[in-house]
Amino acid sequence: MFRKLGLSTLSRRWFLGAAASVAGATAVSGLSTRVMAAGKVIKIGFLAPLTGPVSAWGKPGLDGCEIWADWINAAGGIKLADGNYMVEFVAYDNEYDPAKARTGATKLIREEGVSFVMMLGGDTWPGAQPVADKTGMLFSTLLPSDLAPDTTTLIAPTEVHPIYNVTGVEWLAENKPDLKTAVMCAQDDALGLPSVATYLAAFEAEGIEMLAEPLLFDPATTDFAPVVTKLLAKSPQIFCLDTCYSDYVHPICEQLFQQGYKGQIISCTADFYDQMIEKTSVEFMEGFIFQFPDFDDPALNADFINFKDPNKFYEEYNKRHPGEWGAVSWEYASIMDLWKAAAEKAGSAEPADVLAAMKEGGKGQHAFGTADWWGKDLFGIDNALVGDWPVVVIEGGKARIKGFKSIPEWYAKHGDLLKKHMAAYGQMWDQRT
Amino acid sequence: MVELLAQTGLNAIYAASYMSLVAVGLVLIFGVMGVINFAHGELYMLGAYAVVGLYADFQMPFIFAIAVGLVFVGVVGLGMERALFRPLRDNPLGGLVASIGFLMVLQALAVMGFGVRMEHVPPVTQEVIVFSEKVRLAVPRLFVIIAAVVLLTALWVFLKKTRFGWALRASAQDPEAAALQGISINQTSRIAMFIGAGLAGIAGALTAPLVSVNPYMGHSVIITAFIVIIVGGIGSLEGAVIAAVAYAFIHTIVTTFWDGVIANIVGLSLMLAVLIVKPTGLFGTADRA
Amino acid sequence: MLHILGWPALAAAMIALPHGLSFSQQEILVFLTINVLLVTSYRLLTLTGEWSLGHVVMMGVGAYASALYTKELGIFVPLSMLLGAVTAALIALILSFPLLRMKGFYFLIGSFAAGEIIRLLWKRFRNPFGGPKGIKKIDPMPDFDAGFYSFDFFEPVSYYYFALVVVGVSLWIMWRIERSPVGLTFHAVHWQDKLAEAAGVNVRAYRTRAFVIASGFAGLSGTLLAHYIGTINPNSFDVEMMVFVLTWAIVGGTATFYGPIIGCIVLTILNEIVLREMGFEQMRPLIYGLLLICSVLFLPKGLESVVQGLLARRKDSPASGEEKA
Repeated sequence: MFRKLGLSTLSRRWFLGAAASVAGATAVSGLSTRVMAAGKVIKIGFLAPLTGPVSAWGKPGLDGCEIWADWINAAGGIKLADGNYMVEFVAYDNEYDPAKARTGATKLIREEGVSFVMMLGGDTWPGAQPVADKTGMLFSTLLPSDLAPDTTTLIAPTEVHPIYNVTGVEWLAENKPDLKTAVMCAQDDALGLPSVATYLAAFEAEGIEMLAEPLLFDPATTDFAPVVTKLLAKSPQIFCLDTCYSDYVHPICEQLFQQGYKGQIISCTADFYDQMIEKTSVEFMEGFIFQFPDFDDPALNADFINFKDPNKFYEEYNKRHPGEWGAVSWEYASIMDLWKAAAEKAGSAEPADVLAAMKEGGKGQHAFGTADWWGKDLFGIDNALVGDWPVVVIEGGKARIKGFKSIPEWYAKHGDLLKKHMAAYGQMWDQRT
Repeated sequence: MVELLAQTGLNAIYAASYMSLVAVGLVLIFGVMGVINFAHGELYMLGAYAVVGLYADFQMPFIFAIAVGLVFVGVVGLGMERALFRPLRDNPLGGLVASIGFLMVLQALAVMGFGVRMEHVPPVTQEVIVFSEKVRLAVPRLFVIIAAVVLLTALWVFLKKTRFGWALRASAQDPEAAALQGISINQTSRIAMFIGAGLAGIAGALTAPLVSVNPYMGHSVIITAFIVIIVGGIGSLEGAVIAAVAYAFIHTIVTTFWDGVIANIVGLSLMLAVLIVKPTGLFGTADRA
Repeated sequence: MLHILGWPALAAAMIALPHGLSFSQQEILVFLTINVLLVTSYRLLTLTGEWSLGHVVMMGVGAYASALYTKELGIFVPLSMLLGAVTAALIALILSFPLLRMKGFYFLIGSFAAGEIIRLLWKRFRNPFGGPKGIKKIDPMPDFDAGFYSFDFFEPVSYYYFALVVVGVSLWIMWRIERSPVGLTFHAVHWQDKLAEAAGVNVRAYRTRAFVIASGFAGLSGTLLAHYIGTINPNSFDVEMMVFVLTWAIVGGTATFYGPIIGCIVLTILNEIVLREMGFEQMRPLIYGLLLICSVLFLPKGLESVVQGLLARRKDSPASGEEKA
C-alpha cells in the first residue's frame, strides 16, 4: 500500500515550484515572486551560530563578511552578465542546532532568495542537507568532514580542517628533529576527533612517538589541572593541543606553565595569543607552533596569496571590532572571494553555474595559493579546496608565518597513514553513521 | 606515581574549595527560603565578570575587585529575593521558573556587555610554590583555597555564634515555629540570599583568573553544585562542604586516571545512589521536600 | 451546538493553516506540533504531582531507539516509531524502580540525574549511539500517494499533516486517560495520597503508570523529530530543552488539559518568530527571560487562566443581560 515514489529530481522540483506558486498565491507575502526576481541585489545567506557557546565560530565570520561587502559594493559590486549587483548578507542564527539550521536554510533559500549559503557546518549540516538537496542550493562549510559522496552542492573551500594540521608537524620535525616524544589532548566533540586522527598520522609520519593515548576531555571542562597533570606525568617533549577552542587552549597553556612544562607546544589555533603570553610569559610561548596567521603578517603580501589586501582587512577588522580577531574572522570573506570570482567568470549567480565555474580545471584560487579540488579518498568527493597552508610560530611575542607547506604533497607521501588513523577513530566518510 | 598522586591531591583541594563555596551558598538559599535557585551558576559568573571589569579592564587592585564582586553579587541576590522569591514564596515552582528567567537575563546581559568570546583576566601573580619537580601549586590557586577556608569558617562562626545566624538556622529548620518566635522571614531571607549569592560571586571572582570567563560558564557549575548538595544533604551546610570535598577528590582522581566524561557519570551515579538509599543526603536532617 | 461545529471547524483550520504561512514558518509549525505532544505528555506526569527533569531525555530515548531500529535493523519507519515509543516507556519502567521511591524535590533531582546519565552514555559511546556527533541520515518517513494528496515527507506541510494525525490521536488518548477512573486516581494520588492509600489505592503503581505512559508519548514525539530532521545528537535533548518544556507547562498552567499547549504555542511563536523578526539576536534570551519572570509574577495561574477568564465572561454575559432585562 505504501510505495516510495521514484520521483526524479526534475519532477520533484516541478512539484516544489507548483506548491510554491500555490502557496505564494494564497500567502500574504508573495514569496514566489521574491525567489524569481533578480533585482539589483544579490543576497548571500549566512547560516551559523550567532549566539550561544559556539558563536565564536560564526559571529566573527559575519563581521568579516560585512567588511568584505562594504569594499565590494564601494567598488561597484559584482559584475555579472546582466549588470552589476550589490551584495547583501542575510544572517540566520542556527544556535548550532540542526533543527534550527533546517528552518534557517528554508527561510534563506525559499523566502529570502539567496544565491549562496555559507555555514559553519558540523552538527548543523545534516539538518540543512535535505533542504540543500531539494533546492540544489550551493552551500559552503568550514568543516571538510561534512563532505560525503552525496553532498554534491557542498564545498569546503577555505578551512581545510583537520588535514592542514599536518603542515605544523612537518615543519616541527624539519626544524626541531631532536623532539621525539609527544602527548595530546582534545575536546571530545565533532571537531576534536578528526584532527586527533590527523595529528596521530602526522606524528607517526615523522617518527614521533606518542607516549599515551590522546586524552579526550569533556567540552564542559573548566579546570584543566587534572588533564595536564596526567599528560605531564609522562614527561613529553611535545604537547599537542589538537583543535582545542581558545576557551581550552588558554587554561591548558596556563596549567602547563604553572606545572612547570618547558617543552614544545603545538596547536591548531592560538586565538588571542597575546593574552596567553600575559598569562604565562614571552619565554614560555616562544616557539609555539600553530596554523593561523595574523593578517598583518608581511608574508601574506606575496603574489600567490589570493586574499585581497590582507593587511588592510586586518586593520579594518580591528578598528570595527577591537580585540576580536580570531581564526574565523577572515575565512568566510575568503570564501566570498572565491564565490565572486566564479560568479563573475560564469556571468551568473545560479548555484549550478557558479559551482561549475569554481571547479573548472580542477584547481581553484584558495586564499593561500592555487589549490586542488580534492578529497575523494578522505571524504568521498572532491569538494575540498586543498593546497598550501601556513605554519605560524610565535617569536618574541608575535606570530610569524615561517613557511607554507603543501598538503597534497604530504598526502602523496603519507596518505595511507592518515586513512588508517581516521578509520581507527571512525572518521572516514564511509564510517559515519 | 607518588608525585602524580600528590599533584592530583593539590588539584582536588583547589576544586573542592571553589565548589564548596558555591554549594554552601546554594544550600543556604534552599535551606532558609525553600527555593531552588537555578540562577546560582550565573551569580558565580557575575562575580567572575566583576573581576574582569574592575581588575582586567580598569586595573583596580585584585583584592578590591573581589571584595566588590562579593558585595555586588550579594546585592544582586538581595534584588532577586525582593523581586522574585518573596512574591513567589507560596509558589516554589514559580520561583524556580523565575530563577530560570533571571538566569537567561544575566547571560544575555553578559553577552551584550562583554561579547560571547571568553574574557581575559591577567594573572594576579605568577608565583608557584614548588614542592618538587612535578608537584606544584600556583599561588592564585592557593588564594582560592585560603579564601574558601576563611569564608567558610567565618560563616560557621556567624551561624553558630551570632543572633542572625541562629535566626537563619531556626528558619531553615522550621519556618513557622521561627516566625512564631518573632524571627522575621523577610530578614532571614535577605541575609541568606545575600550570603548565598555573595559566596557564589566570590567563588567566581577568585577563579576568574584561572578559568575561561564566558557568559555560559555558570552552566557546569550549577550541575556540580546540585550533585554536591544532594549528596551532602539539602539542609546541611557541613554536609555541603564535606560532599564538595569528597566529590572534588573523586572527580579529580577519576579524571586523571580515566577521563572526564566517566568522572561525570560517576558523580551523577553517586548522586542517584544517595537519592535512592538515603534521600535526605549523607548529612541531611530537615526534610524540606 | 458549539461542540458539533467546533471540532470540524478546528480540524479545517488546522488543515488549512500551513498554506497561509511562509516556508520557514511551516517548518516551525512541524516542530510546534511535535512539542505540543511533548508538553502534553509532561502534563500527564504532573497530574500525579510529580515534576520530572528527565522528560526530554525520554523523548531522546524514543528518538535514538527509532533511529537505531531503522538504521541497524531496517525496520519500516512508522513501525519503528511505535517501537521507539515503547522503548521509551520500557526505559521509564526500569527507571521507575529507583526513581519513584522519591518524591517532590528529590524526584526532581533524581530524574535529572537519571536523564543526565543516559545523555552521557549517548555521548561517551560512539558505538552505537554515535557519540557527541549523534546519529545522522536517519531514514525519513516513506513518501506515499493517497490519491487526493501526494505525501512527500520532506515537505513540512506533508509531515505536519502526518504529525498532526499522530499528535491528535495521542492527545485524544491522553485526554481519555485523564477522564477515566485511572486519570481520576492520578488526581487523587496528587492531592490526597494518604487518603488514597487508606482507600486501598496502590499509590506507587499509579505513579508508575503515569510516568510510563507519559514517557512513552514523549518517546513518540522524539521519533517524530528524528525522522523529520534526519539527525539527532545528545545536545538536542539537554537541560536547556527541558527548561523550555518546564516553562511552557508552568507559564501555560497545568490545571487544564490545554494549559501547557497554550504555553508551548505562545512561547514558541514568541521565541522563534516574533523575536527573530524583530532582529534582536542577542536580546532574544533577555526578552524571553524577562517574559518568563513577568508571567510567573503577574500570571501565576498561567495563561490558561486568561482563557478560562474569557470563557467565564462569555458564559456570564447572556445571563446578566437577562437579569438586567
